[in-house]
Amino acid sequence: MCASSQSDDVQLLRADPDSSEEEHFRIMLVQTEIERVKFVIRSYTRTRLYKIEKYARYIVSTPELHEKLSKAELDHAQRYARLVEYHFNQTVLQSLPSEQRSLDDNAHFMPSMVTQPDKLRPVFVHARQACPPVRLPDGSALTMPKGQISLTPYYVVEQLLLRNEVELV
Amino acid sequence: MNTSHQFGDLATQLLTESRRSTATDTLFKYNDVLVRSIIREQRQLEGLIQAALNDPKNNPADGSDNPAMPTILLYQTAILRNKRCLLAYHHHRIERLKDLYWAVGGAVPLLLSMPSGSTNTGPQQAGGTGNAPSDIRSKLSPHEVDFLRSYAASLLVLRTEAFSSDGAEGLTEDVDLLAPITRPPKELHVLVRVVRDCGVVSTEQGAIDFRKGHRFLVRRVDVEHLIVQGFLEEV
Repeated sequence: MCASSQSDDVQLLRADPDSSEEEHFRIMLVQTEIERVKFVIRSYTRTRLYKIEKYARYIVSTPELHEKLSKAELDHAQRYARLVEYHFNQTVLQSLPSEQRSLDDNAHFMPSMVTQPDKLRPVFVHARQACPPVRLPDGSALTMPKGQISLTPYYVVEQLLLRNEVELV
Repeated sequence: MNTSHQFGDLATQLLTESRRSTATDTLFKYNDVLVRSIIREQRQLEGLIQAALNDPKNNPADGSDNPAMPTILLYQTAILRNKRCLLAYHHHRIERLKDLYWAVGGAVPLLLSMPSGSTNTGPQQAGGTGNAPSDIRSKLSPHEVDFLRSYAASLLVLRTEAFSSDGAEGLTEDVDLLAPITRPPKELHVLVRVVRDCGVVSTEQGAIDFRKGHRFLVRRVDVEHLIVQGFLEEV
C-alpha cells in the first residue's frame, strides 16, 4: 500500500537528527498525503459497503457475484443478509399466520422481495474508443464512434463498460 | 366491518409515517400499536380466506371452479400488500438507524443516549443539550437495539479482517472506516474547542486532558472521532 511506504519515509526523515527546516516541511507534506490517501481508501470502501448492504440478499443468492467481493466483504454481506432476515422475522413475520411468513413471495404485479440492481436505469456513457455495435431496446443497433456521448439504459452498455471501451459520465 | 374502514388503510398510515420520517429527516417513535393492529388484520384476513376455502358450497362436487375465487383473490391481495408495507416500514427504520450509526462514527452507546430532537445532523447539536429526557433508545423497539448492536459487531469483524495492519509496528496505517468522508483532509492539524469533558486522551504530542471550554491545536487523526461524536468542535 502506498500509504505504508510513505509512512516509512516519515520514520526515516524523523530519525535523521540533521533534518533541516526544508525536510520538516517535506515530512508535513508526506503526512498530509497519507491522510488524503486514507480518505480515498475509506471513501471507496464505504461506497462499496453501501452497495453491498443494499443488495445483500441478491449478492448472497447470486454466486457469480461472489468473486467481485473480497472475503471480508462477502462475509459481511452474508452476516448482514441474515441479520435483516432475523430482524424481519422477529418484528413482523413470526407474528403472522404461518402461510404468510416467507420472504420470497413471487406474486404477480409486485416487485421481487429481493432488491436487485436496476439495470434499466438510464446512464450517460462516453466512448473511449470506437465501439462494436450494441442492440438498443427497440431492436436497432447503436455504434458509437470514439468520443461520442450517449444516454442509454445501463444493460445496453454493460459489456462495453466491463471491457473498458466506454466510461460513465 | 363498518364502511369507513377498508383493508389496507392501516398499512397506508404506516407508510405515511415512513414518508414523513424521510421528509423531515427525523426518527419517529416505533409505532407498536399500529404494527400490532395490522398484524391482527392479517390474521383476520387469513381467517376469512380459510373460511371461504372450506365452505362446502364453495367446493362444487362436479369439480368446476370455486365460485368464491374472486373473493379469495381480493383477500390475498390485501394480505400481500399489508405484509409488504410492514416490511417496508421496518426496513426504512433500520436504514435510518444505520445512517445515524455512521453519523456518530459507530459509537453505539453514545447513539442510544443521544437526545432525539437532533437526530438529523447528529453530533453537532447533540453536544450542547447533554442529557435530554427522551433519547434515541426510547424511540426504538428492543429488536432494533439488537439489530444495531449486531450490525456494529458485524462491521467490527469486517474492519479487523480487512483493515488492520498485522505487524505491531505499522499501527498508524489503520484506515479508520468510520471516520467522516464528507470533506477530504487539507491540513494535518486542527484547532478544536472542547464542548464536553472527555478526559485524558493520548495524542502524538502526549496525553492531553480535554476540559470543557479549553482550546487545543492537535493532529486531526488523533481527535477525529471526538469531533464526530460531538465532544470537540472545530474552531
